Amino acid sequence: MTIRSQMRKWKSNLGWGVAWFGTALVLFGLFHLLWTVLSKGITSFRWDMLTTVTHGVAGGLQNAILGTFELILISTVIAAPLGILGGVYVSEFAHTKVASVIRFLTEVLSGVPSIVIGYFGYLLMVLNWGWGFSALAGGIALTIIMLPYILRTTESSLQQVPLAQREGAWALGMTRFQAISRVVWRPAAGGIATGVLMAVAIGMGETAPLLYTAGWSSLNPTWHLTGHQVGYLTYVVWTYIEQPYPEAHALAYSAAFLLLVIILVIHLVVRILVKRATVAAK
Amino acid sequence: MSQSISVENLRAWYGDHLTLKGITMELEANRATAIIGPSGCGKSTFIRCLNRLHETIPHGRVSGSIKLGDEDLYRMDPVDVRRVVGMVFQKANPFPTMSIFENVALGLRIGGVRSKAEIIERVEKSLRMAALWDEVKDRLREPATALSGGQQQRLCIARALAIEPEVLLMDEPTSALDPGSTLRVEELVQALKSSYTIVIVTHNMQQAARVADKTAFFLNGELIEYADTAIIFTKPSDKRTEDYVTGRFG
Ligand SMILES: Nc1ncnc2c1ncn2[C@@H]1O[C@H](COP(=O)(O)OP(=O)(O)OP(=O)(O)O)[C@@H](O)[C@H]1O
Ligand SMILES: [Mg+2]
Repeated sequence: MTIRSQMRKWKSNLGWGVAWFGTALVLFGLFHLLWTVLSKGITSFRWDMLTTVTHGVAGGLQNAILGTFELILISTVIAAPLGILGGVYVSEFAHTKVASVIRFLTEVLSGVPSIVIGYFGYLLMVLNWGWGFSALAGGIALTIIMLPYILRTTESSLQQVPLAQREGAWALGMTRFQAISRVVWRPAAGGIATGVLMAVAIGMGETAPLLYTAGWSSLNPTWHLTGHQVGYLTYVVWTYIEQPYPEAHALAYSAAFLLLVIILVIHLVVRILVKRATVAAK
Repeated sequence: MSQSISVENLRAWYGDHLTLKGITMELEANRATAIIGPSGCGKSTFIRCLNRLHETIPHGRVSGSIKLGDEDLYRMDPVDVRRVVGMVFQKANPFPTMSIFENVALGLRIGGVRSKAEIIERVEKSLRMAALWDEVKDRLREPATALSGGQQQRLCIARALAIEPEVLLMDEPTSALDPGSTLRVEELVQALKSSYTIVIVTHNMQQAARVADKTAFFLNGELIEYADTAIIFTKPSDKRTEDYVTGRFG
C-alpha cells in the first residue's frame, strides 16, 4: 500500500520532471534564438541600411527589403483571391467528393518540401518558360506555398459560421451566393484575413523556394516581372552568415532582425483581428 | 392577401430514413395552425418542407405535393417560395455582425428595394408589427447581438415580416424565451393572423390553445388528428391525441 503509493508518487514526479525539462529545453532554444537575433540584430542594424543597397558583402538592405515586398506583393495578389475563392468553393459549393479531393490535394501541396517547389519552379518557369531568375518566378513559387494555407483557413473560417446563419439567410429568399456574399462571409472575415496575413508571414520567412527562382540582385527591384533577378531578406540571412567577414554578419543579423520585427507586427495585427472577430461573434 | 396551403401525401426522408409518412392537410389562410406532438415526430421537418428548406440538407428528399394557393410549391424556384413563405426559427438567429436596422433591411435590399426612404419606412413598419419598435428606435445602429434573447427573436420576426410574406412559419418561436417575451410573441401571432397564414410548432399546449384556430397532432411522422383547437383539447376523437394533450405521454 505505502510502497505502491510511493511508487505512484515517484512516477508522477518523474513524469512532471520530464515534461518540465522538455518545456524548458524548447523555451531555452526559443529564447536563445530570439536573444541572438535581437541582440546581434540591434547592435549591427544601422538606419542607413534602409536607404542603401548591398555592395558586395557590405552596404545596406534596401534592395532586399524592396525585393521581399515585391515578391510578397506578387504572391499575395495571386494567392489571396485564388485561395479565398477556392476556400469559398470548397466550403459552400463543392460536392462532398470534389471537396474532399481538393482538401486532399491542398494537404499534399502543403506537405511538399519548399525546396522541391523551388526546384520545380526553376525547371518550369526559369528554364522551360524562359523567365530566368525573376520576381514573377519567385512570386509564383511563394504563391504555391501560400495558396493551400489561405484556402484551408478560408474554408475552416466559413465552416465555423453556424448553419443557423445560412438558414436564416436562405429563409429570407437569398440564393446560396447571396447568402455568402451578404451574410456568411462577415463572421468569417476575421478568420480569412488572419489566414492571409499568416500566409504572408510564412512567405516572408521562406528561402528555399526563392533560391532557385528569384536569384539574387544587389540592385533595387525594377518592376520587370521576368528576366531580372531580385534580392530578398532571407537570402542575406542565409548566405551572408557563412561569409568570413564581420560586415557580412552585420547584414545577415540586420536582415534577420528586420524579418523578425515585420513578422512580429503581422502577428500582432493578426491577434487584434482575431480578438475583434471573436468579440463580434459573441 | 394570404394564401392557403394544401399538402397532399407529403413524405420526407433524411437519407433512407422516412421521417414524414404521407401527410395530407389543408392549412387555411388568415388562420393560425398549431402543430403539436412529441419530440422527434417530424414537426420541424414538416414546416421545413413548406419553405423548401428540407431539401437543403444533404440527402434530404421529399415526395408528394404542396400547393400554395393554386401554385405547385415544388415547381416554383425555392428562392421565390421563401420570399412568400417566411420563417422564424426556434433559436433566434439574427445576423450577428449587422446592426438592428440592417438585419431587417437586408431582405428588402435583396428583394430589390432601392429607395432609402422606402427601406426606412418598411423597417419601421416591420419592427412595429413585431412589437419591438419602441424598444429599439433609438438604437437602430447597434449590433443585433446587443439585444436580449426575447428581443432578438422579435427582431427575427420583424426580419421575416419585412419582405411581406403571405405565410409565416414559426418553429417553437418561444421555447427559449421568458414568460414575458413569450406573451408578447403570442400577442403578435394573434395580431398577425388576420393577414397571414401562420403555422406554429409548439411544445406548449396552453400556447396552442391560446393562439391557434386549428391544431394538428403529429406522431411518428404521421398526422394523427387535425381539427379546431377547441376540439383537439376538449374532445379529441383519437385516443393517442387525448393521451398526449392530457399529458399522459410525450
Ligand atoms: N438533419 C437531420 N439528419 C438526419 N435525421 C434528422 C435530421 N433532422 C431531424 N432528423 C430526424 O427526423 C426525425 C424528425 O425530426 P424533427 O426535427 O422534425 O422532429 P421535431 O418533431 O421537430 O422534434 P422536436 O420537438 O424535438 O423539435 C427525428 O427522428 C430526427 O432524428
Ligand atoms: Mg423541432
